[in-house]
Amino acid sequence: MSVRTEPSLTSAPRRIKRSWLLASLFLAWLVLARITKGKATLELPVPENTAFTTWVGDIADSIRGNRSDGAAFKYFFNPVREFIDGFVNVIRELIAIPNGNSSIPVLGWLGVLALIGFIVYSISHIRMAIAAVSLTFACGALGLWTDSMDTLAMTLAAVILSLAIGIPVGIWAGLSDRALKAVTPILDLAQILPTLVYLAPLALFFLIGPASATIATMVYSIPIAVRLTAFGIRGVATSPVEAGTSMGTTKVQLLKKVQLPMASRTIILGINQTVMAALSFVVIAALIGAPGLGKPVVEALIIRNVGEGFVAGLAVVLIAIMLDRSTSAAIQEETSFVPPSQADRKRRKFGLTIFGALTLVSIVLSRQLAWAAYFPEQIDISKLVAQSTDAFVVWVTENLQILTSGLSKVVTVGVLNPLESLLSYSPWFLTVTMITLISLILGGVRSAFVSFVLLLAIVASGLWFDTMITFTQTIVATLLTMAVGVVVGVWVGRSTRAERALRPILDAGQTLPAFVYLIPMLGFFGPSRFTAIATGIVYSIPIVVKIVGQGIREVPVNMIEAATSAGSTKWQLITKVQLPAAKKSLLLATNQGLIFVLAVVVIGGFVGAGGLGYLVILGGSKPQLQGKGLVAGFSILLLGVMIDRIAQYTVARNSAPKH
Amino acid sequence: MTRNKKVAAKASVLAAAAALLLSACGGAGVDANASAAPTGDAAACGSYAIAMHAWVGYTASAQVVTEVAKANGCDISQVTLEEAGVTYDAMEAGSVDVVIEDWGGGRWKEWADRGALVEVGPNGNIGLIGMYVPQWMADEYPDITDSANLNKYADLFKNDESKGKGAWYEGPPGYTTIGEKLVAANKLNYTIISTGSEQALIDVFTKADADKTAALGYFYEPQNFLAKVPLARIKFPANDWTDAEKASGLTDYPESPLIKLATPKVMDANDAFTKIVKNFSWTNADQNEVAADIESGTDPAVAAQKWIDAHADVVAGWLK
Amino acid sequence: MSNNSSAISVKNLWQVFGPNPDKIVGSPDAKLPRAELREKTGNTAAVQDVSFDVAPGEVFVVMGLSGSGKSTLVRCLTRLIEPTSGSVVMNGEDVLKASEARLRELRRTKFSMVFQNFGLLPHRKVIDNIAFALEVNGIKKEQRHARANEVIELVGLQGFAQAYPEQLSGGMQQRVGLARALAVDPEVMFLDEPFSALDPLIRRDMQTEVMRLHKELGKTMVFITHDLAEALKVGNRIAIMRDGAVVQMGTAEELIANPADAYVEDFTRDVPKSHVLTVRTIARPLADTETATGRTIPANTIIRDATAAVLDANGPVGVVENGNLIGYVKSRDILQVVGGGNQA
Repeated sequence: MSVRTEPSLTSAPRRIKRSWLLASLFLAWLVLARITKGKATLELPVPENTAFTTWVGDIADSIRGNRSDGAAFKYFFNPVREFIDGFVNVIRELIAIPNGNSSIPVLGWLGVLALIGFIVYSISHIRMAIAAVSLTFACGALGLWTDSMDTLAMTLAAVILSLAIGIPVGIWAGLSDRALKAVTPILDLAQILPTLVYLAPLALFFLIGPASATIATMVYSIPIAVRLTAFGIRGVATSPVEAGTSMGTTKVQLLKKVQLPMASRTIILGINQTVMAALSFVVIAALIGAPGLGKPVVEALIIRNVGEGFVAGLAVVLIAIMLDRSTSAAIQEETSFVPPSQADRKRRKFGLTIFGALTLVSIVLSRQLAWAAYFPEQIDISKLVAQSTDAFVVWVTENLQILTSGLSKVVTVGVLNPLESLLSYSPWFLTVTMITLISLILGGVRSAFVSFVLLLAIVASGLWFDTMITFTQTIVATLLTMAVGVVVGVWVGRSTRAERALRPILDAGQTLPAFVYLIPMLGFFGPSRFTAIATGIVYSIPIVVKIVGQGIREVPVNMIEAATSAGSTKWQLITKVQLPAAKKSLLLATNQGLIFVLAVVVIGGFVGAGGLGYLVILGGSKPQLQGKGLVAGFSILLLGVMIDRIAQYTVARNSAPKH
Repeated sequence: MTRNKKVAAKASVLAAAAALLLSACGGAGVDANASAAPTGDAAACGSYAIAMHAWVGYTASAQVVTEVAKANGCDISQVTLEEAGVTYDAMEAGSVDVVIEDWGGGRWKEWADRGALVEVGPNGNIGLIGMYVPQWMADEYPDITDSANLNKYADLFKNDESKGKGAWYEGPPGYTTIGEKLVAANKLNYTIISTGSEQALIDVFTKADADKTAALGYFYEPQNFLAKVPLARIKFPANDWTDAEKASGLTDYPESPLIKLATPKVMDANDAFTKIVKNFSWTNADQNEVAADIESGTDPAVAAQKWIDAHADVVAGWLK
Repeated sequence: MSNNSSAISVKNLWQVFGPNPDKIVGSPDAKLPRAELREKTGNTAAVQDVSFDVAPGEVFVVMGLSGSGKSTLVRCLTRLIEPTSGSVVMNGEDVLKASEARLRELRRTKFSMVFQNFGLLPHRKVIDNIAFALEVNGIKKEQRHARANEVIELVGLQGFAQAYPEQLSGGMQQRVGLARALAVDPEVMFLDEPFSALDPLIRRDMQTEVMRLHKELGKTMVFITHDLAEALKVGNRIAIMRDGAVVQMGTAEELIANPADAYVEDFTRDVPKSHVLTVRTIARPLADTETATGRTIPANTIIRDATAAVLDANGPVGVVENGNLIGYVKSRDILQVVGGGNQA
């Protein structure tokens, strides 16, 4: 006991000292920045290249020139691309695009609906099947049947390929410590990497089209499959594994008969997460030629209007809900290992037979009759939805302009501009020094060292100024996210009713692609850095609320009882017991928030946020700037790793000596 | 997996297999009796993908080409992409065959040299990019449309995003832009704000027009929006450069004939589509007419068909 | 007891984990107490130079508190954890030297294990859990189910063959665990705290059940427990472990009558001596003033069981071992043990 109380005695003065240090450092920074403002900012005009970015651009050019003859392309990239293209097209031809000489896919809309219903019924229950069919039908009613089917097909193709790679690797990482150690850094990196970053490099090797889009989606979703599979295998209780081993199983027998069946629930959860990741990516993958709903979303963002973008976004949401609920329902069916009774099984067999027969009939009909093949044009509520959305946005911009522009002004003038002048408009060596020192105070020597090296690498990339612009927006958005997220999270953590009420919203928020949020935000706030920040906030609040809420809920009951019996007020209980006890969750939420925000701030390049994201987008469309775009992508990666490392070291440092 | 789910899984697989089997041998009846396509010489035209770009004018042109080609038995799909590099890559990859309106003066050269695409020629539209202010500003400050006076009015354009200078809303990443060069070469006291999207520009001008606020931004014609919200173009010293990369920045955007690009596959096929792509040509007014319909909510295909029906003679000329 | 007649013979078994386990055994550091060893080398000796022999048909109990190394020890015997050095000989074969394949064969046929948390496979029916070892050994379904049904009967699980583990109570689940261990007809059974997770009443039933099975089948058992009462009830001989080493080994009587150190004494203090000790331990010569009653009792009679006979006798009762009179006991001697043994 005497040993345990020691750290808490010394840590109180140390914490005070640390925040005091931070404050004085910040003050010094402000003064120095004021004096040196505008000097050595390394600002590089948008159309200009550095020697380095030109060199990268030349490499990209030579890669592009090599595509038809280069050995790597002939024997690796091109065959891979052709295989994936072929695979995707088989699935697309099944439900989305004309098959062979026919003018319709293999399955018309009625056939697709019936098949979806049948599959969902067979993995869960009839209510879920009806819900899934209705949601899919609604996509058609939004006038987006073909695009929806394309999205579904792309998602399906990417998921199948991701699982084909992710589950075996996950099993391997689940069984072998060495394998886990080998894949963990890659998985971590993939999680930090904003999606926008790897589109261009992939397109360079796999060209524009479904193959690139599918591979990009896989890069995003494979890590999730690997992580959850490994987690599932490792999570199997030790005693059955020991029992199996003690009875003389071979490794394969142990895996097949003990570990996999017992991990099945987590693995199915992994499939669910993989599906959701793939779907959310398919939208942004439209930038490199993915067919489907991403097209109208991106199009709406670039030109058309908020209403049409919203309709497409809504279809994405419907598909997301459909896929999420169906796969979750399958997990719920897995809660018990006990199969249903004989009578239930008979009833189920009967249901499956009937449903199967109906499905077959529908499929045949959908191939023979026009009404069952082409989604009826009379059922189209897209205009209605689009117009009401437009009307709503117009109403908001007209009537709530004081609110929207006020909010935007307060944040821009009050927080964003000052911080930007601190980070971007002071000399680079001052910013590097200050960030390194802050990293030292927060995360310790190793954290400071890693930050310093990464910052120097960013300086070397030549895009220091733009990186700091992006960094500023990330910090501001994260601060606001945490401000809102912690308040809501505490509420959710303390009240079961709040948790129940908000849960569907949080779930839906987590499944939506970030891209979908950009459009209404652009409507509200116009092209500005704040639009990117607001989108980042909206996108990352759900995850922060979830983590904080869970942290609060996990505070031991006896701690709260002790504080209550000592006469704490509610406020004291929250600030003196629950929040300090949930400190690790708060830090974790900050880390997640930062990573989520960064991913969105980067696509803010589409709505006037500038910075690295804009350079990435620019590099994609202006050949002379492609090198700069690629380097910008790499700088985003460096920035993301730095943010993550500082956060991780801080978490580790704060959770190590206690408890 | 529990027993009943194994049954279910087996059933699912069976159903999928049955569906595939049907596709293989049960010829789709829909084609035989329900094909809505007007009869053309089906054998004379292949299947092609046409690039779709973000601006409405492009949609109008591409949709008209699509409808005419479909009416002549071609199988046309539309692929939405950012313009320039991305699209040229797609053409090289074979996933896109035609760009019906390209604004860049020869930026496709590298791809053309490799044989990935062919410059087909002008499409009849004349493009004019420039920097615009709302008409009310030109009325109130008549000399504002001369680039030499922009610095005089810079304070009018200040906002939260512009860092104490005038706000200069630049075109989206995919568009041909030389804003940075214009600002630098003409020593303009303005901060470039990258809008990222045309919608953002339209928002800026719509708001400026409605509230009589100041705005200076990138725009272009032909663009039907100009008919709804009047804008005045700022005049920089004239020039006739074509390659944005080589522009000095001292001079204005030039008037440029918009160009059609196609893959060798299209050019070599010598079918109905080849003719349409080679011969397609129409005026800015034609494009604005279709674009106006699309903007007002008409389905692009319907809007295009309306124009085609009204201009049968022009369309017939493309098919020769 | 020699190696040849033992079911298991364990010699100088070590299990050390840490940065360099191989360098510890045989070095002077090995003699250090556990904490000092960790301090000095960073290694922890979970099992420290353990040797014992188990006779065929014997129930050998290893007892200790948590962290004493008893669970690691039993896992070393079956190589679920690889020992650092030593030997474990069964039927003249050193298990530690067996190849992977041979080890699997041994596990499938020669020995089996029962686990504290049952270790049942939740996705398999009771009968398939029981037949698991036979299944991995490639025995045909009909045969293995027939054998499983035999053991089901044996452990009293009739009617539950088609149930799933989660449908059974804890006690019933451990019966499945027992049946599974019996299914291969092993030569040795290892039971790792098999009843610790059960509540007291069921635990008692299960202990009785194990003793019944032992009596009927005569299996050699190595039984791990932290509960002395359980050890005394089921074990022929008991080894007490502390910090990875065996501190004392012997019959219940030996341990209680002559605890090797304060640790063992502390352990045994709460045990009612009258329930464990035999009259042999209190037999003494007849005092001059006393006259023998002529009654005798066998020397291995537990004191508790001798109470009535001695109290009835109204005088010293003779204690007889192998036909020889080794001493006498009187009611006062008995009452002293009964009364003293209950002191805390």
